[in-house]
Amino acid sequence: MRRRVAVTGLGVICPIGNSPDEFQENLLQGVSGVGPVTLFDPASLPTRIAAEVKWRGPILRDRKITFAIEAAEEALGSSGRPRGEGGISLGIGLEMFSMDDLAACRRPGFALPSSRQDRMSFLQTPSDLCVQLISKRYGLTRPPLTHVSACAAGTDAIGAAFRMVADGRRAWMLAGGTDSMINPLGVGGFCRIGATTTSNSEPERASRPFDRRRDGFVLGEGAGVLVLEGLEEARARGARVYAEIAGYGNSFDAHGISEPHPEGRGAYQAMERALKDADVPPMAIDCINAHGTSTPKNDPVETMAIKRLLGARAKDVPVCATKSMIGHLISAAGAVEAIAAVLCMNAGWVHPTINLDEPDPACDLDYVSHHARRREQRYVLSNSFGFGGQNASILLRAADA
Amino acid sequence: MDQRSQSAACDSIVVTGLGHVVLAPCDPTPYLKVRKNRKFMGVQDDLAVVAAGQAAASAGLGNALGERAGLYLSVGYLPFEQADVDVLFENSVDERGFSMQRFSSQAYDAVNPLLTFRCLSNMPAFHISVNLDIQGPYFVTYPGPGQFYLALEEACVALASGSIDIAFLGGIAYQQNFLVRHHFARIDLPAGRLLDAAGCVVLETATHAAARGARVRGRLLSYELSFHPRNPFEEAGSSEECGADGAMGSASLPVALSLGQRRSLRHELKTRDGICASSCWELA
Repeated sequence: MRRRVAVTGLGVICPIGNSPDEFQENLLQGVSGVGPVTLFDPASLPTRIAAEVKWRGPILRDRKITFAIEAAEEALGSSGRPRGEGGISLGIGLEMFSMDDLAACRRPGFALPSSRQDRMSFLQTPSDLCVQLISKRYGLTRPPLTHVSACAAGTDAIGAAFRMVADGRRAWMLAGGTDSMINPLGVGGFCRIGATTTSNSEPERASRPFDRRRDGFVLGEGAGVLVLEGLEEARARGARVYAEIAGYGNSFDAHGISEPHPEGRGAYQAMERALKDADVPPMAIDCINAHGTSTPKNDPVETMAIKRLLGARAKDVPVCATKSMIGHLISAAGAVEAIAAVLCMNAGWVHPTINLDEPDPACDLDYVSHHARRREQRYVLSNSFGFGGQNASILLRAADA
Repeated sequence: MDQRSQSAACDSIVVTGLGHVVLAPCDPTPYLKVRKNRKFMGVQDDLAVVAAGQAAASAGLGNALGERAGLYLSVGYLPFEQADVDVLFENSVDERGFSMQRFSSQAYDAVNPLLTFRCLSNMPAFHISVNLDIQGPYFVTYPGPGQFYLALEEACVALASGSIDIAFLGGIAYQQNFLVRHHFARIDLPAGRLLDAAGCVVLETATHAAARGARVRGRLLSYELSFHPRNPFEEAGSSEECGADGAMGSASLPVALSLGQRRSLRHELKTRDGICASSCWELA
């Protein structure tokens, strides 16, 4: 017997808000979180802009670990602690190494730092420390899940947690993603493969999903964490139910390393499997939170896959791209965008896709350009498609649907 | 504690394919369906493709598996290649240390952009999916043998639910890499003990295996999984493993199964990150 799964807590740290309320307000106003890179001097790198988190508190050397811990605390604070044994399922980014540390360790007489914490953070911090620290802090006694499916990891983390709660393998889960690649290697690496925009002169206008003049994504950072538990149990303890996770699907493109399947096969399969998992027909979809990277290759292929899924209704269903405001949060993207979808669904609005001045002719859906739109939504799909052809979608259901 | 006893299940999970490789380098060429991807492959990708290719062959499966096959994989810590890092480093430093100016000019032009792909944690999954045309669901986790059990759990659940017919379950450990050695050295594990290895098993339900006339090479009898959280900044933790070679990281159990040196295998492990797991297998 499958349980219905409720979202009872939200925590977000992202370029346009460090709380769900702040995030929602800026989403609906179409605020861009993109600006010049300040975390390091990008010197003459082709891309010198990013969507940074404005964080004034203490922070670990690996920013994504701090983001994950803070988002988890916020999520549990908003939900209260569910009953039973909990676990965590987290999409996590790469353990990038520090070039300064690399230089230091090649100097004569070098020795590793003496304190355990400094030693564990030297050169690179293992990314799985996130789930260990959070599990310890909150007494999570079920084995933690880490997901490394790149840009799909955040959505995969929510999907896997949803399945575990739904079939009773876990009483409740923290689920989400965290990432920060705004460092020399991260920005330089994405530049070198031509993935990021070079529109440095107008940062806030550089992320333009589905627009004819898009030229790559803007790198963002942050974390999103949701609390998932059984719907009946959530109601029994009087928890606020923000939404339900109704279905999850993922797939391989089995095609190209950096380009999506030309017909959007994998993207379609992920969405179709999420709907099938929920036993919900395509005609029930009220909105799609797109992967919408602002890269030349992703946006038309995602459009094609949505059209195949929705058929004649495709142009009637709003499709919005959160990345137009916060950039691409890589392993955290799916989690933060799922939170965006939940917040907008509860508010009765679809947030805008900003900077969409002139749609690409190959992108001919209703992308809610520039301004938020009032719309009641019962079912919202949230998509994440990764480098390497890993695709994931989750279906969200409004709390009272 | 998660406990799964396959004897109580209505349709047991059987092993129909096995593959492993211990010690790099290994040659993935015979298993490549898309030869142009060879230039994107790092050592961990080579290991993954060889182990999965062997497993597919021993299961009597082709390389066009489609939507009814899924991939469940545990990979190790990020293995940036030393040679790539050396190029990056030499072109990024001046007399004061790391120079962003040099990095953004000399190093940027000197590095091969393909290195961006060769170390990524999700790339072994990509290469396996392309070469076997796996279009089904996946679970790609990290970084060690404890997580392999989570992949096992996901594979078993997917098979039992009927959402897939075939599960490729793999563990990849490219560890003779300077970043991985650095990591283990700081938690006091002798880096010299680490091995490069990959193992892959093909799992399916007994009913499905019988229907397609597959040779059954083993059977999963039971597995258990539990967790005791710890603060990695404060506690060193310790690891123990029985029934497989713990120097192989994520690959230890699938390699032990693939080697098949006994009629049955009981595997137990306790990892530094607090996971305790065990499993019992009957081998043909």
